[in-house]
Amino acid sequence: MEAHAMERVAAEPRAAERRAPRRKWVRPVLMWLVVVAIIIFCLFPFYWLINVSLKTGPDLAQSDLFPPSPTLDNYDSIFKNGDFTSALRNSVIVTTITTALALIVGSFAAYALARLRFPHKFLLLAVILSISTFPAIAIAAPIFKLWTDIGFYDTYIGLILPYLTFALPLAIYILTSFFKEIPKSLEEAALVDGATYFQAFRKVVLPLAAPGLVTAGLLTAFFVWNEFLLAQTLTSSPKAFTVPVAVANFTGSQKFEIPLGTISAASVVITIPLVAAVIIFQKRIVAGMTAGAVKG
Amino acid sequence: MEAATARLGRRKARKRKSYGSEERRLAALLLSPAMIVIALVAAYPIGYAVWLSLTEYSVRVPGKWRFAGFDNYTKAFGSTEFWDAVKNTFIFTGLSVTLELVIGLGMALAMHAAFKGRGLLRTVVLVPWAVLTVVSAITWRTLFEPNLGLAPTVLGKLGIAENVVWLGQSGYAMAVMVLADVWKTAPFMALLLLAGLQVIPDDVYDAAKVDGATAWQRFRRITLPLLVPAILVALIFRTLDALRIFDLPFVLTGGTNGTSTLSLIAQQELTTNNLIGYGSALSVLTFVIVMAVSFIYIRTVGGNIRSLAEDN
Amino acid sequence: MLKIPRVLAALAAMLLFAVAGCGSDDDDSGGASSAEKATQAKASGNVTWCIGKDTTGAFGTVVDNFNKANPNAKVKLLELPEDAVEQRRLQIQRLRAKSDECDVLGMDVIWTAEYAAQGWLKDVSDYISQNGDKFIKSTVDTTDFEGKNWGVPFNSNAGFIYYRTDEVDKAPSTWEDLYKQAQQGNGVVYQGFRYEGLTVNFLELLYSAGGSIVSDDGKQATADSQEVKDVLKFMADGIKNGAAPKAVTTYKEEESRRAFESGNATFMRNWPYAYALGKDSKIGDKFDIATFPGFAGQEGAGVLGGYNLGISAYSKNPEGSLAFIEFATEPDQQKIMATEASLPPTVSATYDDPAVKKAMPFAAELKTAIEQAQPRPVSPVYPQISEAVYNNVYDALQGKSSPDEAASNMNDQIQQALETF
Repeated sequence: MEAHAMERVAAEPRAAERRAPRRKWVRPVLMWLVVVAIIIFCLFPFYWLINVSLKTGPDLAQSDLFPPSPTLDNYDSIFKNGDFTSALRNSVIVTTITTALALIVGSFAAYALARLRFPHKFLLLAVILSISTFPAIAIAAPIFKLWTDIGFYDTYIGLILPYLTFALPLAIYILTSFFKEIPKSLEEAALVDGATYFQAFRKVVLPLAAPGLVTAGLLTAFFVWNEFLLAQTLTSSPKAFTVPVAVANFTGSQKFEIPLGTISAASVVITIPLVAAVIIFQKRIVAGMTAGAVKG
Repeated sequence: MEAATARLGRRKARKRKSYGSEERRLAALLLSPAMIVIALVAAYPIGYAVWLSLTEYSVRVPGKWRFAGFDNYTKAFGSTEFWDAVKNTFIFTGLSVTLELVIGLGMALAMHAAFKGRGLLRTVVLVPWAVLTVVSAITWRTLFEPNLGLAPTVLGKLGIAENVVWLGQSGYAMAVMVLADVWKTAPFMALLLLAGLQVIPDDVYDAAKVDGATAWQRFRRITLPLLVPAILVALIFRTLDALRIFDLPFVLTGGTNGTSTLSLIAQQELTTNNLIGYGSALSVLTFVIVMAVSFIYIRTVGGNIRSLAEDN
Repeated sequence: MLKIPRVLAALAAMLLFAVAGCGSDDDDSGGASSAEKATQAKASGNVTWCIGKDTTGAFGTVVDNFNKANPNAKVKLLELPEDAVEQRRLQIQRLRAKSDECDVLGMDVIWTAEYAAQGWLKDVSDYISQNGDKFIKSTVDTTDFEGKNWGVPFNSNAGFIYYRTDEVDKAPSTWEDLYKQAQQGNGVVYQGFRYEGLTVNFLELLYSAGGSIVSDDGKQATADSQEVKDVLKFMADGIKNGAAPKAVTTYKEEESRRAFESGNATFMRNWPYAYALGKDSKIGDKFDIATFPGFAGQEGAGVLGGYNLGISAYSKNPEGSLAFIEFATEPDQQKIMATEASLPPTVSATYDDPAVKKAMPFAAELKTAIEQAQPRPVSPVYPQISEAVYNNVYDALQGKSSPDEAASNMNDQIQQALETF
């Protein structure tokens, strides 16, 4: 494909050489304009959210760019609100457990897919991947009925199981790609030395696949933390509801009509650590996202 | 070394039959936890959803239900609500995926160009992606809310859409929804495409420059064609996500004013109207539509999966 | 969770029901009878009260009062979002999941039949038959489904016209006049968004014109009528000729109240709650309220709103729940709802209380309005009926369909809803 492209390019007339030379400063300035535009595009809405979170009362009926009388009242009230802190706790627990399980179960499956030989691999992989394309609504109502009958409604496990189902395909896909990258000879050497498959897995493959695990873990955690539809359908009390549900159903403990001020404050509080985590781990996240994009 | 390899070979030859089945048994063992979870929590509910879609639960007598055959589906196909949702979902998908691709490509190209701000850009560009979907919806709602939102004020001053209540009018509400989605996911596209860009070796460009190709020609003849695989993958993810969208319309408008999507109406019929059979039928229809699109994609981009599935 | 020995709980329950049967007196000098005090002191256990957001603190006050009077019981207020649709969704979710999280449900009157039909409420017919007299009759009727009572009226509601006293001399006597004056003045604001509130606004005009959307026996849709078409045309023209601002189709109660309070409208249709808030605003001394004008030469009509308190079928503490409901519908507590939250009481005698009259100068008119207000169709499929109404009225308001089309579609959709299995 590259050769073909080059041929076509070479065939173009050399008019470029005859064009008047551009002024040197146009390009860098244009570049910087684009950069600034991108930065504003990406960051302004988040700034706006912070702006609204610092407003209360009549300020909330006006669209000032800066809060006329900035106040931390909204933040104060969300932390006093027991529901919000419960939601934070629930989200952390569900996310941690789901991620851990996804990584464990996913690595087993990924190892089998990457290393072992058995029939129908393509079909299996396709089926597993297709699970991640299910619309959550399709399973929400049946699971609701099922969970109501067996008592999983409004519980951690009631959330962890569906989340695992959606997280596994992604984790398996990423981990399989990473496992495949590790040269088989390393394992074979270990096997020759008398190790079992499991020992080879644990001592040779796993350490090398660590970056893949981190990536899969991050993306899984992010998906679970973010998920809204299932969380809303399958939970309703501070026992188990997660952050997105709590924020969306915020009534705001202020006696004001639009709770958008408190909702914004809650939103800021849960976004800042996420943004920090994403910035710290950006390399891993990007690697995971592109795991399938550039190879193959 | 050779002795070891020879030993390995003999081991393989000796255990040819049982090696295969031992591998298969191990594979089955390793895959079973994943497959059990998937079967339990994905396959069974889908089956149950299909069953429910063939029933009708009474709203007058608790617990009473009857087998309704395809009545719910007939009702769906005959309802404007369903077709509106289909229309809205596809319009939304088409608009947002296209815009995300274009803007994402622009951002990727900007990030790829060698200059000082690249690191900062990469970080900044991840901020929208890091924001929760629900939070993003809330943010855009506050931006366009009457009186509170900055956007109507600013746009009004510029003479665009004066006195339009954005979230309260058909067409405008969809525009805000698309904007919110584009804001959140163009960065994701940008990063995918950037990875694709970074794989293209520089000497291809250098050679082209030597041959006098303009920037635009370089872009069209080299960059775009080589980016096609990355673009396709990005397209799949985004299209499937957009078809299933729920969080955004739910928080922004509750599905009114031309923003109802398939997932949203299914959820509303299920949870607010107590129409379990009908809501399940809508869910199944959503499922079928999304799976049909994903099937088309997997056929096109099956290459990635195939290579993963290859035994090497 | 407070764990009460079963025997004590059973004893308390028996006593409670025994004494409750003795009836509560209309004691508007401010104290419950000593018998009532005795029963409530025996109320025990935890009760969670799930109702919409406590915007004025009045709910919290009632809860505090009960807890103080009943040391063995603890009521917790679980606030749901302000939006009624969200309240219903969240209540239904818990009921479908058979959750015991909510014991007492604050239900809009229009949900009572639906919840009852699904078997989600406990039958409180006995309580009503013994205590029903103290309530305004029309409010008790909203708790009736198929001959039994499934809730206790908590507060009621009937709409009013608010008008600027500095822009018009007196409230107009017909809707036609109102719209004319609005067009010449600053307009009329009402709830025109695509939701239940629009159904109410529409029905207020329709009932006045003598029309209906469902037959009396609840089996036939009657929306394809001349009255419906006339009302639709009237409302749509009102937006076209500027009597009502275009933005009115995005207004719910709060938005229309804010528009009126910021001085941008001459007239407003809203519930009584806006009165107290309006008095605190910048137009505080520039407005007054009046009962509805008539349409098409007939008398004005109101639509009955309000909330009932029901006991969840899955509640683990129905006795404690009933004790709380009884407390909340005592004249004292009803008075608090009236004076602090501008929520019209359901107990007749409260309207004669001087404090209530002071907080709501229109108390007498309010009582009459409630007594005469008409209910919306009582049906387990009311949500679908309402959807058929507000979707089509909304389309007519926005000019998307003609009054004739809207009426015909409305009729078809209502008929379809009525035939739901």
